[in-house]
Amino acid sequence: MNEKITEAASKDNYRQEPKVGVYVCHCGGNISDIIDVKAVAEALSKYPGVTVAREYAFMCSSNGQDLIAEDIKNLGVNRTVVAACSPSLHELTFRNVLQRAGVNPYLHEHVNIREQASWVHKLDKAGATAKAIKLAQAGVEKVLRKDALNAIRVAAEQRVAVIGGGVSGMRAALSAAGKGLEAVIIEKGPRLGGKLLELGKMYPSGETGPAIVKKLSDLVLAEGKITVHTSAEIDFVSGFVGNFKINFKKTDGSSAQVKAGAIVMATGYEHYKPAKGEFGYGEDANVVTLPEFISLLKNSPADRLEYSGREIKSLALIHCVGSRQVEGVHKPQADGRLNDYCSRTCCTSALHTVNQLKDKYPGVRVYDIYRDIRTYGMKHEEYYDKASKDGVLFMRHNEADQPVVTSDRTGHTVKVKDVLTWGEELEFKADLVVLVTGMTPADITLIKSQLKLPSGADRFLQEVHPKLRPVELANSGIFVAGAAQYPMDSTEAMASAGTAAAKAAILLAEPDIPLEPFVAVVDEHKCTGCGLCPAECSYDGALMMGEHNGKKVAVVNPALCKGCGACVAVCPTRAINVAGWTLDQFDAMVDAIAKE
Amino acid sequence: MSLEKIEVDALVVGSGIAGLQSALDLADQGYSVAIVERNPSIGGKMISLSKVFPTLDCASCITTPRMASVSHHPRITTLTYSTVDAIRREGKTFTAAITRKPRYIDEKECISCKRCEEVCPVFLPDEYEQGMGAKKTISIPFTNAIPQFPVMHPEHCIRCGACARACPKDCIDFLQEPAPVEIKAKAVILATGYETTPMTAKKQYGLGALPNVISPMAAERLLAPHGPYGRVLRPSDGMTPGSIAYVQCAGSRDKSIGIPYCSRVCCMYAIKQAILLSGSLPIADITIYYMDIRAFGKGYEQFYNNARAMGINFVKAKVARITEDENHNPVVRIEKQEGTSGPEEIKHELVILSQGLVPACDGSKFGLGAANNEFGFVKLSDETVSSAVTDGAGVFVAGTAKGPRDIPDSVVDAGSAAIEAASYIRRL
Repeated sequence: MNEKITEAASKDNYRQEPKVGVYVCHCGGNISDIIDVKAVAEALSKYPGVTVAREYAFMCSSNGQDLIAEDIKNLGVNRTVVAACSPSLHELTFRNVLQRAGVNPYLHEHVNIREQASWVHKLDKAGATAKAIKLAQAGVEKVLRKDALNAIRVAAEQRVAVIGGGVSGMRAALSAAGKGLEAVIIEKGPRLGGKLLELGKMYPSGETGPAIVKKLSDLVLAEGKITVHTSAEIDFVSGFVGNFKINFKKTDGSSAQVKAGAIVMATGYEHYKPAKGEFGYGEDANVVTLPEFISLLKNSPADRLEYSGREIKSLALIHCVGSRQVEGVHKPQADGRLNDYCSRTCCTSALHTVNQLKDKYPGVRVYDIYRDIRTYGMKHEEYYDKASKDGVLFMRHNEADQPVVTSDRTGHTVKVKDVLTWGEELEFKADLVVLVTGMTPADITLIKSQLKLPSGADRFLQEVHPKLRPVELANSGIFVAGAAQYPMDSTEAMASAGTAAAKAAILLAEPDIPLEPFVAVVDEHKCTGCGLCPAECSYDGALMMGEHNGKKVAVVNPALCKGCGACVAVCPTRAINVAGWTLDQFDAMVDAIAKE
Repeated sequence: MSLEKIEVDALVVGSGIAGLQSALDLADQGYSVAIVERNPSIGGKMISLSKVFPTLDCASCITTPRMASVSHHPRITTLTYSTVDAIRREGKTFTAAITRKPRYIDEKECISCKRCEEVCPVFLPDEYEQGMGAKKTISIPFTNAIPQFPVMHPEHCIRCGACARACPKDCIDFLQEPAPVEIKAKAVILATGYETTPMTAKKQYGLGALPNVISPMAAERLLAPHGPYGRVLRPSDGMTPGSIAYVQCAGSRDKSIGIPYCSRVCCMYAIKQAILLSGSLPIADITIYYMDIRAFGKGYEQFYNNARAMGINFVKAKVARITEDENHNPVVRIEKQEGTSGPEEIKHELVILSQGLVPACDGSKFGLGAANNEFGFVKLSDETVSSAVTDGAGVFVAGTAKGPRDIPDSVVDAGSAAIEAASYIRRL
């Protein structure tokens, strides 16, 4: 959903007598199960300035939107308050209703009575209702004091910068170029391909990682609209939607800069690195990770599986190493967090590898120790099936009963409390232990801190909403592709990267981009030129001292201002306000809430 | 009858979440799009769901704004209650033969006032409510439907004329005929979606004849805010169930019914429904019989852990058979794969079969070169290079038409199909 607010001038309706329409949403029970929505609408209908107050099951639906549009048309409503879900979900939906009905879209106030009332006061229905009424009344006071605003338009670079040249980055660049945009891939490694370069045969196609990389990189190199920078170390990223600047160093020490209207973060993943001593890893040479085993398998001679010159006759795979971690069972990571997520690809990858192992060395005994086998893809179940047929012995443990690996001169002993044999303690010897490791996000600390990108508890980049805006970061103009967002396989990364390119193409479909008008505004009459505010501003060039009619005043650059309000807080004369969020509005809201 | 002709850049077949999103992602790039939907409303399966995992947003809150965006979009034309009969490729253009099915009303005149529905004396089982509620023979399909036009079902109509007398715009037309439409497009996106495996798929699970063994879609409606009863009741006697069980993989990972693949969504929807059920029926016991819990998406494992912490009972067991006692209580015969050995028979009051996903439409029937895989889903030309390009030039695929996937994955797919179609059109 990308309905753009155009500033196509709505009527000058803010000069008319304010007529507020209040719309209370049931949110399909999310709100109305707790809050008496009829009582809220009833109370608001009597509030000063309110022309009409209604409640409806789904205000965001077409019918709900039509209700508002009808009131604008028939009752002359020229400001709206919708008391519903979080504004992050649907504020834009309702602004668009106003826009379509010919009212300035910023004469709308979205009041959150779901997260802020019904969800948090489940056990106090009367209290939740009273709170919803107060919040909605505060919303009315705010909207009565709103001014019509127009989106700020900035010219956009018609270019997409793709950070990361793995399969996701290549796909994103190809798709953007396919649409006619210039694309620049910035890859820190010496060549395109990323993690796939190290991998052997990939599921589901059976092609090797490098073979897949070649197909994509051939397309990339043949595409005139794509520029590729390899061995490029990004050292500084700045700017905002439409005008990002990415500075990087090349191997020869020289610097270069790419200007772009949009950024696709295709920064990928790292294999989880087990802690020293985790199932003996790092202490015992015969405990390896799955990626290490994949190269071992690739390099073994045809007649025997060999590791460090020794023949491997039996091996044990332990799943969920570094994934699905549980408090009290697993040690937290260095940052104190647990990797409580499932890494999605490792079950299938492990069984696909075991299939190849059994095809090459049918005599090797394989034990597979798992919690749940998650071979969810269309053909993945066949790998599980084949492994069973090939005689792989599956053992399932509960999360609290972790398998134990001990080693002595006679080799490794693995102990498992196997629920498939009703909790039997099983013990067996294995020449090699393979830890089926998951994914963690690649280290992008620098870019994340410079662009202030959000990540979740799992440390992966966090989309705005998994269904509404699944590849968009909260930072306007920055999209995420592939495993930088969450573990996924290379085919899934194709979809994610294609969509990231689609969103960039939508953003850059017009030469200039509308930005929210919520920026600092200086009242030159009140400004005393004291100079306190520029010191508080965190955005270079957004707020500086200048002159107006021969008087020293603070001057805002609306394209750079983020509307954070830090300047507002230090102004001794209330001369600065953030448009749409003024101090007068907040005063009135507080008064409305505090009124007996 | 004159032939209505529409010329667009892209034709999107299907208006579920994948179709809607592909259409929006194309139209927002500046392309014109026609969507053809066989049902009377856009919105697909998703609009009938209760809440969606892992965020527990109400499904309507995610779907209806998209439906509204599509219906208000200046570059999108939507044909509902219309079938795609054939698509021909002529050079670089596709010509699709569409039939608009008759609603028996004049859509140009109808003001969606519902008077016809109010006065109609004939009730039918409401398929939108999975047969659990009733609707009138002439009625608007459901509250949030787009467009808000009533549909008449002539096979049930008793020709009493009440609707025609009640209609203030005189737009009831008992003699309306199917109308042909021709759509010319440069690219086609197949977003034809899925159906669930039939309740009758497995003899051991009662062949759909046990009243208190229901489908997950029926459970969605029971849990939906505007469901048929406004609360969770079991079908046989209207009792509030105190013991509810989910039978996982009832239609997936099962070679005996020809569906060996995992349907990807059933673990998560069962967990979600279990969480919602424990909200609406706090004292009910809820058990999920499963083989493996496949909570593999972003935030899913945490969602699963929340469900366990809420006291939902996860039992690793294969359900061998479902019968019922004299009070229609389903009796589930299981063999546990953990804890104790030996088969057990456990009585529940309501059982939900976690059905799998099968293709809703044979994408190859249009003869455009887009081939199917062995399970009847649309096959990708090379999934290592693109997630939307089929074997047919100019034909793209999005969402569950290419295989089971959940809503976040379908939404992501849709964008990818849109950019591939845009690139193709640009290069023509």
